Amino acid sequence: MEPLIQLRNMEKVVEAGPNKFFLLRRINLDIQPGEFVTIMGPSGAGKSTLLSIIGMLDGAWSGEFYFLGEAVHKLNVKKRNELHKANIGFVFQSYHLIDNLTVFENLEVPLSYKNVPHKERVSLVCDTLDRFHIVGKKDLFPNQLSGGQQQLVGVARAVILSPKLILADEPTGNLHSAQGEEIMELFKKLNDGGTTIIQVTHSERNAAYGNRIIQLKDGWVVSDGLAAGTRAGATQSA
Amino acid sequence: METIWQDVRFGLRMLIKHRLATIVCVVALGLGIGANTAIFSLAEAFLVHPVPFENPDRIVALVDARVNSQGGAGFGPQDLNAVAPATYLDWKKEVRSFDDLGAYAWDEVSLTGDREAQKVQDFQISANFFSMIGVQPLMGRTFLPEEEEPGRNQEIILSYGLWEQRYASDPNVLKRVIKVDGKSFNIVGVMNKGFDFPMAAEAWIPLTLSTKERLRRDNRWLWVLGRLKPGVSFSEGAAEMRATSEREAQAYPDTNKAWRVHPLPLREFITGPLTRQYTLLLMGAVAFVLLIACADVANVQFARITGRTSEFAVRTALGGSRWRVARQLLIESILLSLAGAGVGLFLAQMDIQMILAHMPPDVARFVAGWKTIRLDGNAFLFALGIAVLSGLISGIAPSLLGSRANIAETLKEGGRGSSISRTRHRLRGALVVCEVALALVLLIGAGLLVKGFQGLLSVTENYAPQTLLTFHYSLPEVQYNQPAVRLNFTEQIVQRLGTISGVQAASLVTNVPYANGGGIDEDEFSIEGIPLTERGEVRSAIVETTAPNYFNTMNIALRDGRLLSDTDGAESARVAVISESLARRYFHGEKALGRHVKVGKAEAEGEWMTVVGVVNDVHYSWIVKEAVPTIYRSFRQAPPNHTTVVLRTEGDPQKFVSAARAEIAAVDPNLPLYEIKPMDKVITESIVGIAYVATMMAVMGAIALILASVGVFGVMSYSVSERAHEIGIRMSMGAQTRDVLTLVLRSGLLLTALGLTIGLPIAFLMARALSSLLFGVEAADPASFIGLPLLLLAVAGLACYLPARRAANLDPLQALRHD
Repeated sequence: MEPLIQLRNMEKVVEAGPNKFFLLRRINLDIQPGEFVTIMGPSGAGKSTLLSIIGMLDGAWSGEFYFLGEAVHKLNVKKRNELHKANIGFVFQSYHLIDNLTVFENLEVPLSYKNVPHKERVSLVCDTLDRFHIVGKKDLFPNQLSGGQQQLVGVARAVILSPKLILADEPTGNLHSAQGEEIMELFKKLNDGGTTIIQVTHSERNAAYGNRIIQLKDGWVVSDGLAAGTRAGATQSA
Repeated sequence: METIWQDVRFGLRMLIKHRLATIVCVVALGLGIGANTAIFSLAEAFLVHPVPFENPDRIVALVDARVNSQGGAGFGPQDLNAVAPATYLDWKKEVRSFDDLGAYAWDEVSLTGDREAQKVQDFQISANFFSMIGVQPLMGRTFLPEEEEPGRNQEIILSYGLWEQRYASDPNVLKRVIKVDGKSFNIVGVMNKGFDFPMAAEAWIPLTLSTKERLRRDNRWLWVLGRLKPGVSFSEGAAEMRATSEREAQAYPDTNKAWRVHPLPLREFITGPLTRQYTLLLMGAVAFVLLIACADVANVQFARITGRTSEFAVRTALGGSRWRVARQLLIESILLSLAGAGVGLFLAQMDIQMILAHMPPDVARFVAGWKTIRLDGNAFLFALGIAVLSGLISGIAPSLLGSRANIAETLKEGGRGSSISRTRHRLRGALVVCEVALALVLLIGAGLLVKGFQGLLSVTENYAPQTLLTFHYSLPEVQYNQPAVRLNFTEQIVQRLGTISGVQAASLVTNVPYANGGGIDEDEFSIEGIPLTERGEVRSAIVETTAPNYFNTMNIALRDGRLLSDTDGAESARVAVISESLARRYFHGEKALGRHVKVGKAEAEGEWMTVVGVVNDVHYSWIVKEAVPTIYRSFRQAPPNHTTVVLRTEGDPQKFVSAARAEIAAVDPNLPLYEIKPMDKVITESIVGIAYVATMMAVMGAIALILASVGVFGVMSYSVSERAHEIGIRMSMGAQTRDVLTLVLRSGLLLTALGLTIGLPIAFLMARALSSLLFGVEAADPASFIGLPLLLLAVAGLACYLPARRAANLDPLQALRHD
């Protein structure tokens, strides 16, 4: 099967005066469709940077990046945005819902950016509200929801376009444990349904929901192996 | 389209949420758009609809102008003169570019007989005049060619207003015979409502030229218009006219050498160069105000996008392109501007009402296009257009910067987009610098105009205009054709008016200073023994026929010799008093007393007058900066038909109007008096144009000052919020209140000083341009160039001080927690 993501010798460098700092060093990774990958590592290891690059939010790097066989490193910004829009959903630690939009309107945002017609948009949002059991919250603004409910909307927004890949940056970092578990169960369910998930987390417990753990340190991949109770998809070390 | 509506909906929600910022922006834009729309309405009336008929584009005014040193026509924009009859008739015969040429001449007549005597502004017009400009009467007919014959000119056409007011819209008015200056005239037509061309016309009578007049090339009193033939452009027509004028100058050097035709499109001629210049000046000023308002709004938008960085990053992360994010912000900006346009239209309507209400009707009727000033559909579209433009101007930089957020960095927990923040900071600083520079230019422009206006008022102070009553009369030619009859009448009324209790002096003069808006005609004159140095040279002066006590009544000081006296009678030797400028200009330092001058050419009829005195100059007009040479002669030696009575009164001159009327009615009950005004009103009305401009400029200067200080305040306020963390650190390290105050004030005043440094040279250049345009405006007026920057600095200082104080009062612990 063709990997969903292939990274070859990917590096990310920032310059500060005469000095160069490597945020990522020679990353080589293959991620298959349907995997639930956890990226772990200490602060400053490059986890979020790697997630941003995979999510095509950051275009300043070197190396090769293939997404569903398409050479992302050769695409211009517009094409890269199209690829991102069509295939990737994001979930953030701070939820990042738009404060001045209702739950319904927040779910509508990615659809409107994909120019989905109004009727279809309404139908998709209603289905999603129903699927996540938040129909009753549709007219509320984010500040009228609890953290868990906000993250639920965040996940709903990420999956509304049925992306092939969901990227989650510390999705439970701001939630208490019960809410966190609920979100992780949701990810599990989505993964079971075939969606590839890549999450960044510090939590071993959350990592256990996935089937593969990639450890980063100082920008290097220091380990890549099975999560507890699963079989490894790939093993690689620096 | 649908997504645009979505953006509009969201934009509206954001504007409602940030109410204070929205109100500040809407008011700022409302002021800018309102001022622009009001001035647009004025400009539309003055520049586009100055004449009350359709399609004036093919009509050209052919006026005479004096040859300047470069050989071209005209000393300046005001040098527009009428044309001599023989020249007009030559043109009519010779020129090929025009279908037709027509002429008109100013006139004033008294309507008597059927009702009380009434002075009417009429025009003598050629028979083809109405057909040439393409208008038809409402009732009756226009003039027939044979009615141009002397002695056959017994017809009159009434304006709609006169028909309505004097004849109660009588449908049978065409059958009436009325008395015009004592002669019988048939009413042959009534013009359409609103038609009053040439300006302020109430009636029209045929233009008749006697055989003698048809040959005159030196007496310029006809205003000539021509309609271009189809397919002939203005420049082609003008070129032909100039060539014709050159030929005439060679053929008739005595009368035409110093003159050349100056063709002008009718609109330009009717509007007049000053109105055009003032309108353009005001348009420039309001554009400045709008730019300052846009800078304010852009600054508010910058502040708002800072708080929404994460929203834009999320939108981008969810698939929104940079254009979509920028579009969202632009739409918000345009919504603000549209709301500003709503407020602006309301303010513009108020402005226009105020402008219309404060213009004296006597002046308004002589301002071309005044009647058409209104907030019409074009003004509405203009407001809409500039609203969208303002939205784009004020929103483009913030939206581009807002959409350029570093997404990955912003979405990270606690991430800071420092480079964007720095760019934003620099841009906001640059905007404040521009605002201050623009405001300074506008303030100095306004300051110079206001000072110029005050200068005009102070020029007239020495003759105490507030206790002078002036009014005109014109003696009907039929009844008063003999000088002795006129003299008798004049002697009687001067004597009678002088006896009114409370009247300190009763005098008369042809034209008081500033009469007719300062537009007083000059007459040619000659000096015995000083022949003209070259053919075609013209000596001209204002010729006043006065009562001897006029000089004392007007506080005009004697410089040399003596004043006119009561002994200078009809039988005595003819004498004249001249103004200092005439003595200086034409006698070149030699003694003027005892020399002889004559009105008209040396060889013309008329007696030489001996110069017996030299008096101070009097300013006649605020347009003409130099003193105009003036000759004063006694009314006893040249009894006038048209004159202005001047009464020096004790207290309010208006109280003496009825007594003066009664005294004149006792001598001639049918003589209408008109233009009855205190002298200060004559002056005010003559400078009402510049007073309007000065007031509007002052208001705009004040708005600019406020908007610029709002800009400085906004930027400094926001800067304090942005630097709260830094300020907290500084305070925790021992910074005192004064240190924090200095820190904030220094950065705000630095921006202001930069703005002033850029604005001052621009203001100086503008002042030089203004000084060449207006009397009393000095390009190097120290009060404006030092005082106004200091005022702006002080206001900006205050605008910086408030946020600085807030910064100094910050709780360091809270500030350190500030993200």
